[in-house]
Amino acid sequence: MGFLYSANMQGATVQFHAWGGSAQVNGYLKWVSEQVEARYGIKVHHVKLADTSDAVSRVLAEKAAGNDNQGSVDLIWINGENFAAMSEHGLLLQNWVSQLANFPLTLPEKNTAMVTDFGLPTKGQEAPWGKAAMVFYYNQRYVSSPPKTLHELLQFAQRYPKRFSYPLPNDYLGISFLKYALLALNPDHRDVFYQPVTDTAFKQRSEVLWRFLDKLHPLMWKGGDYMVSQASTLQRLMSDGELLLAFSFTASEIPSAVKRYDLPQSIRTYAMQDGSIGNVHFIGIPFNSAHPEEAKTVVNFLLSPEAQAEKQKIAVWGDETVLDMAALNPMQQARFQSEPLHPSALPVSGIYQLLPEPHASWTDKLREAWFARYGERF
Amino acid sequence: MSGFHRFSITMRMMFMCILILPVFAGLVGVLMPAFGFFPALGETAVSLKPFSQLFANDNIVTMSWLSFSTGIFATLLALGGALLLVAVFYQRAWLNRIQHLLSPLLVVPHAAAAIAFLFILSPSGWLARLFSDATAANPLPPDWAFPYDPYGFSIILALTLKELPFIFLMLLSTLSQPQIELKVKAYLKVAQSLGYSHITAFIKIVIPMIYPHIRMPLLAVLAFATANVEIPLILGPNDPPTLAVAVLRWFNNVDLSMRFQASAAAVLQLIVTLAALLFWYLGERGVAKCSPRILLSGTRQWSDMGLTLFAAVVIGVYALIALLLVGSVFTWSVATYWPYADMLPQGVTFIHWQTALRSLAVPLGNSVLLAFGVTVFAVILVLLALEGEVQMTKGMSPALARIDRSIMHITLYLPLLVPGVAFLFGLVWFQQMYFSSLTWLHLFVSHLIYVLPYVFISLAIAYRRIDPRYIKVAYGLGKTPLTVFFAVKLPMLVTPIAVAFALGLAISFSQYLPTLLSAGGNIATVTTEAVAAASGSSRRLSAVYVVVQIIMPLCGFILAWWLPNLFFKPSLQATPSSQGVKVYESNP
Amino acid sequence: MSLTLDALAIYKDNHLMLQVSTHVLPGMVTSVMGPSGIGKSTLLDAISGQLSAPFSTTGQVIVDGKGVHDMPAYERQIGMLYQDPLLFEHLTVSDNIRFAMPKTEQKRLGRDQVQAFIAEQLSKVGLSDIRHRAVQTLSGGQQARVALLRTLAANPKAVLLDEPFSKLDTTLRQQTREWVFAQLKDRSLPALMVTHDMEDANSANGEIIEVSL
Repeated sequence: MGFLYSANMQGATVQFHAWGGSAQVNGYLKWVSEQVEARYGIKVHHVKLADTSDAVSRVLAEKAAGNDNQGSVDLIWINGENFAAMSEHGLLLQNWVSQLANFPLTLPEKNTAMVTDFGLPTKGQEAPWGKAAMVFYYNQRYVSSPPKTLHELLQFAQRYPKRFSYPLPNDYLGISFLKYALLALNPDHRDVFYQPVTDTAFKQRSEVLWRFLDKLHPLMWKGGDYMVSQASTLQRLMSDGELLLAFSFTASEIPSAVKRYDLPQSIRTYAMQDGSIGNVHFIGIPFNSAHPEEAKTVVNFLLSPEAQAEKQKIAVWGDETVLDMAALNPMQQARFQSEPLHPSALPVSGIYQLLPEPHASWTDKLREAWFARYGERF
Repeated sequence: MSGFHRFSITMRMMFMCILILPVFAGLVGVLMPAFGFFPALGETAVSLKPFSQLFANDNIVTMSWLSFSTGIFATLLALGGALLLVAVFYQRAWLNRIQHLLSPLLVVPHAAAAIAFLFILSPSGWLARLFSDATAANPLPPDWAFPYDPYGFSIILALTLKELPFIFLMLLSTLSQPQIELKVKAYLKVAQSLGYSHITAFIKIVIPMIYPHIRMPLLAVLAFATANVEIPLILGPNDPPTLAVAVLRWFNNVDLSMRFQASAAAVLQLIVTLAALLFWYLGERGVAKCSPRILLSGTRQWSDMGLTLFAAVVIGVYALIALLLVGSVFTWSVATYWPYADMLPQGVTFIHWQTALRSLAVPLGNSVLLAFGVTVFAVILVLLALEGEVQMTKGMSPALARIDRSIMHITLYLPLLVPGVAFLFGLVWFQQMYFSSLTWLHLFVSHLIYVLPYVFISLAIAYRRIDPRYIKVAYGLGKTPLTVFFAVKLPMLVTPIAVAFALGLAISFSQYLPTLLSAGGNIATVTTEAVAAASGSSRRLSAVYVVVQIIMPLCGFILAWWLPNLFFKPSLQATPSSQGVKVYESNP
Repeated sequence: MSLTLDALAIYKDNHLMLQVSTHVLPGMVTSVMGPSGIGKSTLLDAISGQLSAPFSTTGQVIVDGKGVHDMPAYERQIGMLYQDPLLFEHLTVSDNIRFAMPKTEQKRLGRDQVQAFIAEQLSKVGLSDIRHRAVQTLSGGQQARVALLRTLAANPKAVLLDEPFSKLDTTLRQQTREWVFAQLKDRSLPALMVTHDMEDANSANGEIIEVSL
């Protein structure tokens, strides 16, 4: 692919609009900026957003004003809702992702999550950048063999009553647990979850979930009467030994919590064998970017094994790579293993199977049905 | 009437308006949507739909009962405990010691107390560790009901713990008023000469006499206990929670149509609080009716030993809990790993403090700035209002002056009796409607509503105690009212002003709901951050926040005690020479 | 300078309590005597313009030939002395006196002269060493003297005394009394004294008004 580098790119500044609320992310983007300037002579300016929708509305306003090729946003970090909105209004550059030299390293045919954003096909409008997957962690001091599947989770709850819980479904992690359970309990009917929900489909597929939860709830912490309203509380209860098993969407936060003494040293992280619900976050290029070619160069760099390995370092950011290890040569793979892992961290390639997020309409339906069944909690 | 007099009377009007208007505006702003009227959401037809929607909720009775019962029980327990302590220890050396133990607890914000309580009540807290099975190889924290128990026992415990010092100090403050003190001491002597024991005499004679004086503060405690948010939010159940917490959740629901139900629930909260006040009133009547039988039974000695022992147990438990509370938050704030059943952590670290202080810099700045602004304004306004009161009542007949006093009294207690969840949301709606960009002003006003009454109550006592002859002497020296106010009254009030100032700071520091609502979550203070951190991932970080919350108001009180001595009493710095006094005595 | 009460009547809730007419010559002290509760202190409040509800007055108070009826208290230039010295505790002895001196006079004298004047006043009564002392550290007799000096420093046109010596013990009482009356005479100030002590009245050596129910 010849587009990657040309002399006339020298000196351009790419405006990268990305949420700026995390020191780790900001630090990583600074590193990216230095690397890209040294290699390609492209400057990357990180516009630190408080809320990604600010940038979305800016592009929308530019479109309304007829600004079709001098847009102020060259790169935007999005997923889910914001992607849906930008896609709907035609605010993203089309069909550019497959041109990137490094994109095939994500093995998109195998990992459909790389081309699906909350149930919507990405249609080449955004490139995967990183992913978050649900990982479980347990306290080795008390538990020697943690549950490996949802089915085993129920057995675990019977063996260690009142030592597991999940957050209420109006919390992101809480609803994610329900989605995981729904997908894990319907292994033969996955396709239906990636289409808009219908009443019949929901009734058919959720039946088994309710049966499962009816059995699980009495075995949960506080007999399921009190459920935490925020995901972060789970970690505190794990720290105290009140819970022996919990889960998180950010695998890297577990070893760093151990280092901060917020979790005991006997914590171990792992992923479920029947799949880990996960979502990928993406980079898009607005349709009116003033520097689309430079922007693509930057995205291709972001997808390089080097940049992805750097991003995955716990000391840097700890964001899981979107590259599939099977697509990498041994030297490239080695980059991801350079770091000695903290004992409590998720082992490398610890995710068995990524379960992409179901279509967004399932989420709302699931939440409503849960509250209707188990009462309005607060 | 001088210009200054007119000004001070105007300020008194303004003082009353600041207390009344927001409460009423807020109630209107909640009542309208409760009856389906909310033009902003396109609803202009008055209906009872929000209420039918509210009562369709299965848990509504449980929620209301939880609010009502936790409030009543906590107030009863706190009152009983406080009365017992005063009855047993009045005129004894221990009274001072108890006062010293309880006073600092008064200024600890409710949120901080609740979080600290979470520390000792939770199955991995010190209490559980104390009673854990030491022989087990890997002991697990017990699976007990606290905190978050469905009956609200945790809430009652925390509220009692927090309100007992308030009622106790209110009793002492009443007992220390000169006319009352004289009477009480004389009555006790008479009763004892009739053969009544000290404690029995106190209970039979003094309590009925001083009860009316603590009635209003007591009702304010009851109203607060039935409607507060932070304690049930941190310690209470959530299936269902207390009504106040449900109101908060419904108002903050992303689905704006929930506002109708939330408003109806806020009105219900108002009714629940009124019901609790009514219940209390009927209880008072009942006690008053039955009491002559007990008071006049002729029994001169209840078991003084027993009561003393009981009071000692109360104070002992209290001291133990206070010690555990403070001890555990301090320990957690510097703890490294602390596996269950160990009494102490494995090591000491300051990284939690470093992390917390970095993220607390902005909230701390906001808290201090806001508290200082509000309190300076409040103290000035209260002083002028008190001056206005003197000028205004001067020309009034006693009957009229009495009416004026009671209007003032009700005004003062209005924001303390009307539940915050019932009017703050309506107020916020008004604020957003008309002055949406003035976030700091809204925050300022909502804090002022709570700071003003306490500053007024604490300053009024001192202000009204100034010997009026000082003022007459100063007028006789040809001094104008303005000069008298600044050069005579204010210097005489330096210590009370400093204490009122510290109290104002403490009240402002502790505000949770007003801060959260008025600023729409955009301006963080130490208290809002601490409540947020209470449900966060790090118990150690949360402990640091609590310690900071405890230290802040204490700093205020230490300054209040120290500064006046430093700056405002120059004459005390000159050491008295007793020698000199004698020499001139004989030589006029 | 003189003080005249022209049919000064005091009402409580529109009921007449007492009525007084008298003329006090410069340097003279008129004593008002009567049982307690009859309204003697209220009379002093009425003269100095500090009466508040439910009391009201009719009649005239004339100070130095001028009716003061419509003046607020602080313009009447009538000094007050009570049984307690009521010195301001946040000020030193000399600042208490300086506080009383009219602004115009302080301006006219200048800062150094003001200090010199205060020192002179204090030394005249044997208190020159206590200028910078805290007032709480003074003995009762000393405080009484400073109180009078303070009253006089304001250049009053008349002085009202409310049981001024009742808190002093017998010897001190006599000394202080004589000294106070001498000072008033010295400055030709008319004074009205409320007392229930016959000795006070006798010593004042002026008119004695008995008020009764």
